[in-house]
Amino acid sequence: MKERVTYILSRVLELMITLLLVSLLTFAAFSIIPGDTARTILGPSASPEQVEALREKMGLNDPLLFRYLSWLKGAFTGDLGNSTSFNQPVSSLIISRLPVTFGLSFLSLCLVLVISYPSAVISSRRPGKFWDQVFSVFGHVSFAIPPFVLSLVSVLIASKLFGYFAVGKYASPSKDFGQYIYCLLLPAFCVAVPKIAMTFKFLRASILTEKSNDYVRTSKSRGLSDIKIMFRHILPNSNVSVITALSIVLSDLLGGSLIVEQVFNLPGLGRLLIQAIGRRDFPLLSGIVFYLAAMMVIVYFAADVLMNMCDPRLRKNRGDSL
Amino acid sequence: MSYSKYILQVKDLSLDFGSESTKTLHDISFDLRKGEILGLIGNSGCGKTMTALSVSRLLPKDARLTSGSIVFDGKELMDHTEKDMRELRGKDIAMIFQEPYTALDPLKTVFKNLEEVLTEHEVLTKDERRSRILNMLKRVGFDEAEDILGRYPHELSGGQRQRVLIAGACLLKPKLMIADEPTSSLDTITSMSILELIKSLCAEFMMSVLFISHDLSIVGGFCDRVLVIEKGRIVDSGNAFDLLYNPKNPYTAGLLSDSRLDPKSLDLKFNKPSFSSECSLRVKGLSAGYESTHGFRKKKKDIIHDISFKILNGESVGLIGSSGCGKTTLTRAICGLLKPTSGTITDTKGKLGVVFQDPVMCLNPAHTIRWHLNEPLKANKIKLTKEELNKTIRESLEAVGLEKDILGRYPSQLSGGQRQRIAIAMCLMINPNLIIADEPLSALDTTSGARILKLLAKINTERNTSILLISHNLRVIRAATSYVIVMDQGRIVEDGPTLNVLSNPQSEITKKLLLAETTLHRNPDKGQFMTE
Repeated sequence: MKERVTYILSRVLELMITLLLVSLLTFAAFSIIPGDTARTILGPSASPEQVEALREKMGLNDPLLFRYLSWLKGAFTGDLGNSTSFNQPVSSLIISRLPVTFGLSFLSLCLVLVISYPSAVISSRRPGKFWDQVFSVFGHVSFAIPPFVLSLVSVLIASKLFGYFAVGKYASPSKDFGQYIYCLLLPAFCVAVPKIAMTFKFLRASILTEKSNDYVRTSKSRGLSDIKIMFRHILPNSNVSVITALSIVLSDLLGGSLIVEQVFNLPGLGRLLIQAIGRRDFPLLSGIVFYLAAMMVIVYFAADVLMNMCDPRLRKNRGDSL
Repeated sequence: MSYSKYILQVKDLSLDFGSESTKTLHDISFDLRKGEILGLIGNSGCGKTMTALSVSRLLPKDARLTSGSIVFDGKELMDHTEKDMRELRGKDIAMIFQEPYTALDPLKTVFKNLEEVLTEHEVLTKDERRSRILNMLKRVGFDEAEDILGRYPHELSGGQRQRVLIAGACLLKPKLMIADEPTSSLDTITSMSILELIKSLCAEFMMSVLFISHDLSIVGGFCDRVLVIEKGRIVDSGNAFDLLYNPKNPYTAGLLSDSRLDPKSLDLKFNKPSFSSECSLRVKGLSAGYESTHGFRKKKKDIIHDISFKILNGESVGLIGSSGCGKTTLTRAICGLLKPTSGTITDTKGKLGVVFQDPVMCLNPAHTIRWHLNEPLKANKIKLTKEELNKTIRESLEAVGLEKDILGRYPSQLSGGQRQRIAIAMCLMINPNLIIADEPLSALDTTSGARILKLLAKINTERNTSILLISHNLRVIRAATSYVIVMDQGRIVEDGPTLNVLSNPQSEITKKLLLAETTLHRNPDKGQFMTE
């Protein structure tokens, strides 16, 4: 137990350092790229004196390190500065978009798990046979379909033909939770399809590798049925490698999906990012980039800890084996 | 049901993989008495494992049993459905396998791994299961069984894992245990103790054992009767005593001499270097080990300490010790794969070839043999013209006794012995001064092993290449080396001319290895197996 606590603590420390480095790089990058924030705000017709006055007011004339430190201080207290185009604090802008992005990510992840696991298990039972072929073809197709085609086609089918799913509408979860889920279901499906294909492929390969391992033979020689061996031994062992794939999927989902949000007219992070880029809103942009990096680091951290919990071989310093 | 003295009767068993040309077993017939240990001996690919797997019906998917009958405990197994077979497996027919390192689920503790045998076949409470497993673990020789119960497989040594697997196999006191090469990947001392354990369990539970091995001389002291299989047919059978003292069948006699590695009967000749010749490798005060990370601190733990020795040009030197004594770490340090903590390694001409234990893992499955033979040249930045290259390849292949048509093939299309030859041919491509062979025989059956040893002798005498032969097998060392170094717990404990050291051992470990060796390969004394 003590080892595990030490392990997690040391990983948390590493996580902090990584986040710090990420923030430094983000900040530096946005300070280096051309474009004067004050000029952007005031517009082309402003006089140089006005721009200079605003620069002074915004602290843009201070040394880079000083500005970074004050930004960092703000970031710690949840203040990422003010968006120049929305005239709102960056942090509240990002937070207002999170329900959509988190909801979409969560629903998509559920779809990924619910669909890819059963199909991979069925597929790997008899590799190369009928069901394996069927699932593999589906996998290839859904991997190859561009997201915008998939979104448009599903909007067409769902809304025009059946009238299901509220397309182009969105309800805030605090007002009407049922409606909120309902609105997100179809977009979540569109986001999930390529991820399902990816997870399915990964899991199928992993199951097939585990299947040829000696411990499967041992369990067979003890009289266990194939299904029991699958659920008791093969799947837990496959999970260890699939966690990596799932962490890639999740960090991708949490970044928001530009196209799907656009097609379904959802106020998610992806659209905010497009708007920030379009309006050269550097404080907002650096806030979002920092959020994305932080999400990615946190997801990978969680995956690492999860893997460590699943696989005793990854826990170092235990026992005396070499 | 009438009383039968046989637990297993196999009659006219034939097996193929879909067509007549793939026929693997030809009319195999044998009986196994209750409480008897029957050895099934033959080289790789002879069908001994298929015979055993037929009994428990764990055959590969495409294998077909075309004819024959298998009567187990009075019941015809050929009529059993898969469900009937599952009830028998683990309960009445238990199996243990060759590779204990991978035969346990790595994510589960020993308890969880063994528990499934009980949950599958009996209705017990968790405490009952726990106490049954504890008792069995004690029975197979774990004094601190409580501690073992909560460990994960990677925290156990190979021998311990095999004991855990044996405990799992015996939990329900099966009538028949099928042991498929249970000792092949273990060192001599561990092998001996595992065999003794199986023998005593067999007597205690009145269990019959079908023991599969390629090593005829081990089987001698262990089995009551022996069947010799060649190419899917039983070519010889009899009680162990007769077969080992007086092998009538020439095939059996050949197996026996391959297994015993008697230099005279195999015509093995290695160089006897003069004392004045130069060194091809000199190791002085070498310590090396591995780094491990504890949080942010790095710790280095030395595995080998203060190793000094030298190998003369053309000399053949043996390095012995049981598993975990540091042999492999030493090899890695000499090859430059591991940075030594202190000490120096001088190889005077810098040309070194290495042959590893497992020829399956060493070759890249995606490339042809020609690519593999080119590899050492590229690594050493040796540029040859096309003619020179072809000539070197031809000479290397000739030296290891392989034909030229093998060049276009892939590693998966070769047998274990052929792969090990390729590994040696790869060394020869750069015409090395020294070949380090780390357990080159232990993944091979006795016949291929004897051939590889002959090949090393030929290279040693014809090319005057020095050889450092690492092994836990004293027969190999005795047959192939003139000087021997004994290691224990990372230190050299003894060295000297091979015959002197092995006939008059000074260190504890050499004595132990010798005792294990003689016990393991002792000739049968009409039945009784000695237990300590």
